Amino acid sequence: MNRRRSRRGDSSVKPARSSQVSAAGLFLLGLIMGLAGALYYAWVVSPVVYTDASPSRFSETYKAEYIYLVSESYAADGDWERANDRLMALGDEALAQRVDAQLENYLRSQRPATDIEHLAQLAQKLGVEGAAVALFAPDSAAATETPTPLASATPSPTATNTAVPTHTPQPSVTPTATIEPTATPQPNYRLLAQERVCEPGTAVSRIEVETLDALLAQLPGVEVIVRWDSGEDRFFTGFKPEKGAGYGDFTMSPGVSYSVMLADGSPEISGLRIEPCDSGSDGGWRLSFQNLRVILETPTPEKEN
Amino acid sequence: MRQWLRIIGLISLGLIVGGLLGLYLGWIAWPTEFTDANPSVLAEPYQQDYLLMIATVYAADGDLQAAQQYLAKLGDRGPSILNAYVLDEILLGKQGPDVQHLARLAHDLGFDSPALQPYLTPPTETVP
Repeated sequence: MNRRRSRRGDSSVKPARSSQVSAAGLFLLGLIMGLAGALYYAWVVSPVVYTDASPSRFSETYKAEYIYLVSESYAADGDWERANDRLMALGDEALAQRVDAQLENYLRSQRPATDIEHLAQLAQKLGVEGAAVALFAPDSAAATETPTPLASATPSPTATNTAVPTHTPQPSVTPTATIEPTATPQPNYRLLAQERVCEPGTAVSRIEVETLDALLAQLPGVEVIVRWDSGEDRFFTGFKPEKGAGYGDFTMSPGVSYSVMLADGSPEISGLRIEPCDSGSDGGWRLSFQNLRVILETPTPEKEN
Repeated sequence: MRQWLRIIGLISLGLIVGGLLGLYLGWIAWPTEFTDANPSVLAEPYQQDYLLMIATVYAADGDLQAAQQYLAKLGDRGPSILNAYVLDEILLGKQGPDVQHLARLAHDLGFDSPALQPYLTPPTETVP
């Protein structure tokens, strides 16, 4: 009896439940279709268009270009506060790293030296420390001094200066001058690094020389002059390619002091001798020279797109 | 017939609710994130600052072609934005190198206005 009632009860409930399920299912079907269609429309067909964006919304390309413009403007007007405000508009927490990476990219893509110098000055102001900054923005004074004021502010429009950049003043020639003004000779290479060469358990008596171009790539075929009290020797880099295209070395004799310089012009590094390392073994020296001219002689006036 | 009306009604109701919900989510709650914007979508103050940088760089290097390329990134309205900006600055009585740079760039790009002339005058040399 109970069973029959129960069955009867079940059969009476079933249609109502299936009706509820189908109603909810139909509504849900419509809901999902509507949701999908609306999201497609809102995200793809007619997305929100930002017209009041800040530079933080820029693509990577435009961010790089923006930083370039900031560096050039800063080089022109020397207004760090303004340059900093502009950089802050990028909203980049890793701004210094971004500028550093862009500087490295400039070096590798052989951008004009002025572009690199200006960006290096900006990087230096942001606290970036690295070989590129040290090379192209060697001291903070260069960045903090007013870099070539373009024009001075004037009280009235009629007395304004045009925006002609004032370059470094030309040397004036005096009537009595009989000697041609000679440019200050600049070495073609700078000493980038001087390090000890120590190999634990092995005596090293070499002077290793590494020559690099301005972009820090190995530079072969550079003549190296080694002098000591009673003699002189010369060799070229690049004859041991397994150690680097710009590598060359010289074997020192014990108790002799040597000096090394590059035939193309570099500082002379003296007082090089075999000296014991911390491990007790004899050690040599490794000198890295960087060419300062290559990049300056390849002006590629390529601008960023 | 009544059954069909019921089905269509439920689906339509779902569509309407889902559509409204989708538009809210797509336009307001989770709008498309623009991370690849270009200078043309910058807010006006940023566009003006962008123009000022172009003008400053142009004053320094004199490369009009490069300046035009940068200006083109502001879209078709780039030149008109520049012209309006420089005139606004002049009418506001702004002085100094910024206005001069803007005026010089606008002038060299072909914008001819008497208002620019005072800012284009070369510096008068003082004769002792």
